[in-house]
Amino acid sequence: MRLSVKSILFVLLRRVPMPVIAILVGLAVGLAVWGLLDQVQSRQVDKIFEQELQAQLDQRARESLIRFDRYLSNYGATTRLLANHRRLSEYLEPLFWFEDDDTLPVVYKEFRPHWLPDFFEREALSSPSHVLLTDPQGRVREVFQSGNDPLPEEIAARIPTRLLNVREVRSVIERFGERLYLLSSDAVEDAGGYAMGHLVVLVPVDDAFLASSQRGVYVGRAAVALVDGADQRIVASVDSEMLVPGTLLSDWSESYLVTSQSMAEYEGADSSVLFATFVPHAAVEKMSRHVRIFERRQRGIAAAVYILVFTAVIYLVSSRLNAVLKRMTRFSQRALGIPEPGFHRDGNQLLLLEEWIQHFTQLVLKAREEMSIKHQAEMRESEALKAAVMEASLDAIVTLDYGGRIIELNPAAERMLGLDRGEATGSVFAERFLPEIARPAFQRLLDRSRHLHREPQGRGELVALRSDGSEIPVEISIVPIDLESERFYTLYIHDITARKQAEREIKSLARFASESPNPILRVTGDGLIVYANRASRPLLQAWGADPGECLPEDWRDEIAVALESGEPQEREQEIAGQVYSLLFAPIRDLGYLNIYARDITAVRRAEQEARQHQAELVHVCRLSTMGEMATGMAHELNQPLSAIVNYANGCSRRLQSATSKTEDLVGAMGQITVQAQRASEIIRRLRALVGKQPPIRTDADLNHLVREVCSFVEFETTRLALQIELDPGAHPIPVNVDLVQIEQVLLNLVRNAIDALHESPEERRRLHIRTRVQGDQAIVEVEDTGPGITADRILHLFHPFFTTKEGGMGMGLAISQTIVENHDGRIWAESEPGKGSIFYVALPLARADTPEATTAPESELLESLT
Amino acid sequence: MTHDATVFVVDDDQAMRTSLQWLIESTGMSVQTYESADVFLASYYPGRAGCLLLDVRMPGMSGLELQSHLAREGYRLPVIMITGHGDVAMAVKAMKAGAVDFIEKPFHDEDLLRSIRRALDYDERHRADQAARADIAARLAELTPREHEVMAMVTDGKSNKDIAAALGVSAKTVEAHRARVMEKMRADSLAELVRMALIASADGPATR
Repeated sequence: MRLSVKSILFVLLRRVPMPVIAILVGLAVGLAVWGLLDQVQSRQVDKIFEQELQAQLDQRARESLIRFDRYLSNYGATTRLLANHRRLSEYLEPLFWFEDDDTLPVVYKEFRPHWLPDFFEREALSSPSHVLLTDPQGRVREVFQSGNDPLPEEIAARIPTRLLNVREVRSVIERFGERLYLLSSDAVEDAGGYAMGHLVVLVPVDDAFLASSQRGVYVGRAAVALVDGADQRIVASVDSEMLVPGTLLSDWSESYLVTSQSMAEYEGADSSVLFATFVPHAAVEKMSRHVRIFERRQRGIAAAVYILVFTAVIYLVSSRLNAVLKRMTRFSQRALGIPEPGFHRDGNQLLLLEEWIQHFTQLVLKAREEMSIKHQAEMRESEALKAAVMEASLDAIVTLDYGGRIIELNPAAERMLGLDRGEATGSVFAERFLPEIARPAFQRLLDRSRHLHREPQGRGELVALRSDGSEIPVEISIVPIDLESERFYTLYIHDITARKQAEREIKSLARFASESPNPILRVTGDGLIVYANRASRPLLQAWGADPGECLPEDWRDEIAVALESGEPQEREQEIAGQVYSLLFAPIRDLGYLNIYARDITAVRRAEQEARQHQAELVHVCRLSTMGEMATGMAHELNQPLSAIVNYANGCSRRLQSATSKTEDLVGAMGQITVQAQRASEIIRRLRALVGKQPPIRTDADLNHLVREVCSFVEFETTRLALQIELDPGAHPIPVNVDLVQIEQVLLNLVRNAIDALHESPEERRRLHIRTRVQGDQAIVEVEDTGPGITADRILHLFHPFFTTKEGGMGMGLAISQTIVENHDGRIWAESEPGKGSIFYVALPLARADTPEATTAPESELLESLT
Repeated sequence: MTHDATVFVVDDDQAMRTSLQWLIESTGMSVQTYESADVFLASYYPGRAGCLLLDVRMPGMSGLELQSHLAREGYRLPVIMITGHGDVAMAVKAMKAGAVDFIEKPFHDEDLLRSIRRALDYDERHRADQAARADIAARLAELTPREHEVMAMVTDGKSNKDIAAALGVSAKTVEAHRARVMEKMRADSLAELVRMALIASADGPATR
């Protein structure tokens, strides 16, 4: 039953939207606060008020009493003043009251006796009704009566001594008849200091008296009265109209708060008077009401604040919840694909949220379950796949744990390593299946695979150890698998025995080409260099291409031609001073072209050198022979000639002085003959030497000859920074000459020109050689910008021993002339001193019917030499 | 020209040697010929007066080599070089090495003979100088240390009084020293003494 109530409550709660609940809760809390405060606070306030009121009443009563007491004291003081007044003592001086005098008191009425100054008026005290003088026994001797009332009977003759005090002023409130009187007394002495009796002031305590005592105090706030202590009746009040004397004190408790205090000081012998203070209830009520109103207002404000705060907070929370709900709904629709959250969107959001979360949790659980099922299925599939892959793999696949122990291996691995799975699992791979040398390398691979998470993975070639102890080359690739708890390595091991073998064979085959000392290259039809052995480096450098790059344009054309024809082609190329013979061997079906190059520099150079050497040897031989011969001849001839001169001079001196003997002179003459013969012998030897080479005439191109000559002097011209300006005729100029001799002539002219240019400033050095045909003659001109030859010298130019050069023999031009003339030619010179000179050589042009060779007459040459 | 002066001819060419001897002897000078430098060195002794006629080109020790060899040994024999045609460079070298003259073949006989005479002259003068210096050195050796001092100061142009003050002796004593120096040096005058001092000091090393 309780459950159903609860469920009904829930249903209700679910229907109520949050804002409403917020307001309801706020109100409920406000009311509760109100009630609580009402219970606690008002009681507290009452209590405080009560206390406060009591304190106030006490205070007010005390104040009234004090005021009353002070009023009475004033009477005492005034009495004392009167008793001790000079006038009174002077008045009493002559008097003497006997004890037994039975005389009536003297009564003053209507006027004030001399001894009684009017102090009461001055002190604003109500006038006493009677002032008495008594003798020490209390018998009344003189009386001043201010009003009509006679002395009360009780004291008309004698004042009981109990009411008097001998030494001090005494004030007593005493009841005489129905009235209360204040009886204030003091001792009186005459001027001589003799105690005469007492001065007694009698004041009726009535309304006026009380009012006067409470002067300045509003009766409505606090009234005072004197109450008979015995019967609790009011004897006198400040306002007899309001508080009627004779009424009981308790009669007034309805409308007044009454405080009564005793006045022991002023009590007479048989009367006790209480001093009562009356505060009207109305005044207290008013104050109490004020406090209550204030307290209620405060309570109201607190409750309202509570209501507002609660309502606002819950309202805000509910609106946030609304937003959250909306968002979650959207999320569930989007992320989980739930079209409808499955609950009402109205009602209490908190409960909705709870419901929704339950719903959502269920959905997620469901989804997770589905996923896990799917995942398991996939895992199974993938496991199967993996197993299949492992089984089918041709490569060995081994899985290692972090410590390098084998966890798993496939059949290929079993085959490769030569043992089954049971034996292998658990053993450390590196120790069991790698020879000692390969272990560091393997460790490096492991490390690398660990550090490089991208390609290339740890991959390398190693030597593995089979269980039977044989070694096989393998390629290992290592892939690390990082799982949460541990790291594994998968090793893919590929047996590369066959590949290694093939590689070795290919390498050894490839070495054929690479070992070749001659360049061997392979290029594609497009000119791309596929292979080039080491020896082909100079070729590649010259072409500016590396393997993998293209050949220069012109060579590509050659290749295309060679491929087209399909026939091997041969080319020559000179590279950095080396001459290469290139054989292009096309392989048409592959589109390749093999280039076999051969450095034929040495061969070519040998050929050329042999040729040049030969020619040069002839020339140089001839020339040096001529030069040396001339120098040597000069020296050799010097000796006999000097000796002859010496002998001749010695003879002539002796003959002059006529001191010598004839035999001596004959001997000396004989010596002259001997020396002359020696000289002649020297010349004969020279002649024999020169006459050794007969001229051999052949057909030649004069231009070619000139060019060759120029090449002989290249060294010298380079040193002089001199460029020979060669200006050969357009066509070959055929001549039939002894090549060696004519070259010698030309060389001589060129050398002379170069020597002449030595003396010219560098910027003026020019050497110009021209060839031309003039009529039936071929002419060579050698022009220099040297110092030139003076006219007188030019005549002797071709004479033997004529020279302008230091160390020159003066034979060159003479010999040249002989040679040229032997060829039916002519040699001459033109010169302008200071500007240069031109040497001309004219030779007859060769005709078709030129005789093969003619022997030059030797005698002419020799003649010119001597 | 002294009569004991000899012209030493060194030439590998026999004809040249003999013809030169023939020519030079025609003037009355004595000639000795040598076919090579080594032969000459073997027979020559220092102090022989004369001059040396050398062919530049010779097998074995060349003329230049012989010349430098002599210079090294301290022989002051004047050298005349005979050069062939075109050997001017060599001749210059010889002159730089201290040859008196060089003559190029073929030469004029007068040129050769004049050159020889000059060389002999030079040799003679040199020898005389050397003898005088040796003589003075001998005389100087006779002086006491104190006399050396006095002579040095005297030739320096100092007065007797200056010398006395410098040496801390009386002028009379200086006078006596000075007289003895003059006597020992066989000097007739102060001027002669000064000349001797100059000769002795000018070519000091030669007298040693």
